[in-house]
Amino acid sequence: MPVLAPVLAAATTPAPPPPPYTGAYQPQGVDEIGLWKEMDEDERVLANSPVLIRDEALNAYVRGVLCATVGADRCKAARLYILRTPLFNANMAPNGTMRVFSGLLLRVRSEAELGAVLGHEFGHFEQRHSLAAFKAHRAGTDVLSWGAVLAGMLPYAQGAYSLRNMQISIYGRLSRFSRDQERDADLHGIGYLNGSALRPQAASVVWQNVMTEAERSAAARGQAHPRFDRIPFFASHPADAERAATMAALARPDAATRDDGAARYAAALAPWLPLFLDDQIKLNDFGASDYLIGMLGEHGATAPLWVARGDLYRARGYPRDLVSAAEFYANAIALDPNLPEAQRGLGLSLFKTGRRAEGAEALRRYLQLKPAAPDAAMIGMLVATAGQGQ
Amino acid sequence: MKKRARLVAAAMTLAALYPQPAAAQEHTAVKAGFALPANSGKTILVFRPAVRVGAQSTGGLFEPNGDWTDRARANLEAALAARQAALGNIVLAAPVAFGDDARLVEEYQALFGALSRAVIGYQFFRGNRLPTKKRENKAGVFDWSLGSGVSALPGAKDADYALFIYDKDAYGSTGRKILQIFAALGPGIPVKSGEHAGYAGLVDLRSGDVVWLNADLAMGGDVRTPEGAQKRIGQLLEDFPGSTAAPAAPAASTK
Repeated sequence: MPVLAPVLAAATTPAPPPPPYTGAYQPQGVDEIGLWKEMDEDERVLANSPVLIRDEALNAYVRGVLCATVGADRCKAARLYILRTPLFNANMAPNGTMRVFSGLLLRVRSEAELGAVLGHEFGHFEQRHSLAAFKAHRAGTDVLSWGAVLAGMLPYAQGAYSLRNMQISIYGRLSRFSRDQERDADLHGIGYLNGSALRPQAASVVWQNVMTEAERSAAARGQAHPRFDRIPFFASHPADAERAATMAALARPDAATRDDGAARYAAALAPWLPLFLDDQIKLNDFGASDYLIGMLGEHGATAPLWVARGDLYRARGYPRDLVSAAEFYANAIALDPNLPEAQRGLGLSLFKTGRRAEGAEALRRYLQLKPAAPDAAMIGMLVATAGQGQ
Repeated sequence: MKKRARLVAAAMTLAALYPQPAAAQEHTAVKAGFALPANSGKTILVFRPAVRVGAQSTGGLFEPNGDWTDRARANLEAALAARQAALGNIVLAAPVAFGDDARLVEEYQALFGALSRAVIGYQFFRGNRLPTKKRENKAGVFDWSLGSGVSALPGAKDADYALFIYDKDAYGSTGRKILQIFAALGPGIPVKSGEHAGYAGLVDLRSGDVVWLNADLAMGGDVRTPEGAQKRIGQLLEDFPGSTAAPAAPAASTK
């Protein structure tokens, strides 16, 4: 991996502590004030968005993890919004609005892993990367539009050839600029973690898990094994393997024994897992969802996890999947007989495999457990028709 | 390339000379049978206009400008109040909403934006009409609605209509203007400098029907100045119901 060599060689010492905090910051200059104004308008919309998760306990918890990572003084600069979006992402706008996607919360396993991602985003914010990216993009497109005009004055082939070379060169440079910003944010993120009470080695685990998930997803689709060691020309982020290796090298070795807050994280997320898993299953990415459910159940599967696995198999819906799904729901019922979703899934799976009488029995229990369910009328109809026909 | 450039230039000249029908691109419509007589004293609820003002970089990027946006918002609001007073309508700013109310307003603002884009794309723009809208257009039907749920909007009880306004201005930077001149003189490439788009719609607060809509993707008036904002509001509210019936309106709007 010749591309990785210089990066890894440079990153054998732990990340330095973050620079001194400058306190409340006001935008400077036309561009920055303009960007902030745009973000303020976006925040108005965001604050009233239907995708926002407004639960106070969850918001306070995620905010607490951010503060534990970047420190109490920096934490005040961030306004946190949790979005119900099943993707692995988070971002932070120049005006201090941090968006955390529910897909990120589903994928990280501990406070330290969450802190690694949030610290990375805070690094972008503190370094004012958006402004620099905007300026770089503007400078690049300015040059390109002059290039297009000048190329138009040259004989056709020569002008078009020069312009295309220039376009490739400028867009490639902008992509590299973006990757360098990501590396800089990674450095800051791990710097915050090194200085916190959390275990910085967790940052590398995040990227290892991302790679495993991508492998499982590709395998379930019958696609080629994805490559994690190469940087495509237009990639906005460094390769995952490079990030995992860099993070491992930047973590303070003596901090490896620190607590990573995995137990606290699991407890805080437990009420949300069924919802987040449901959103994930609807992405129709069998390999990734199966991997995530397995990861969550590595210390013993719970009833909601069995239900999620049942839903996943029932959604794919091959005949063998329906048999497996019925088994998974039965496992869930064995752990918690009063879980309505397990009875519902079991009933529907049994119906589809031809065991209508047993299915109707499970559906009846579902309606007893959750009489006000939104699909109660439809399920009731299934139960009523179970005895007929055949 | 030279041949192509000449063709482009020729086409542009032709386009400028050819007497185009005024309705080449429609940009305003009124629901059939709707009339709002001048001085009818109706109350119009205005939701916070979406205003974005900035510059256009040499390469065409939008460069948001906070100062211009603030000034434009104040200018537009003042010009709107003056214009509506001249029409004999009472303009009421929508009350500041919290919690569920604020969420409802946000959803309807977004719905109105989506509806306006659909009208521009599928009814006003001739080449892109949906089959149903083609038929409706021939019959002069303008039939769009946000649904009767609008009556639950905060402030809806005290008003007859709601007015939604969107405005985006990007003024060509010096670099962009120089590029435009060079591109036109040299290879003859048409470069657009600046973007001035806006739409405004009047919604019946009982039925949710859009009774009037005006969308213009190339407007005049520098919204950064009070006079320019008056001109812009005049264009945004072009053919506003009742405005043609009141000959005093244009004169009054300049006060």
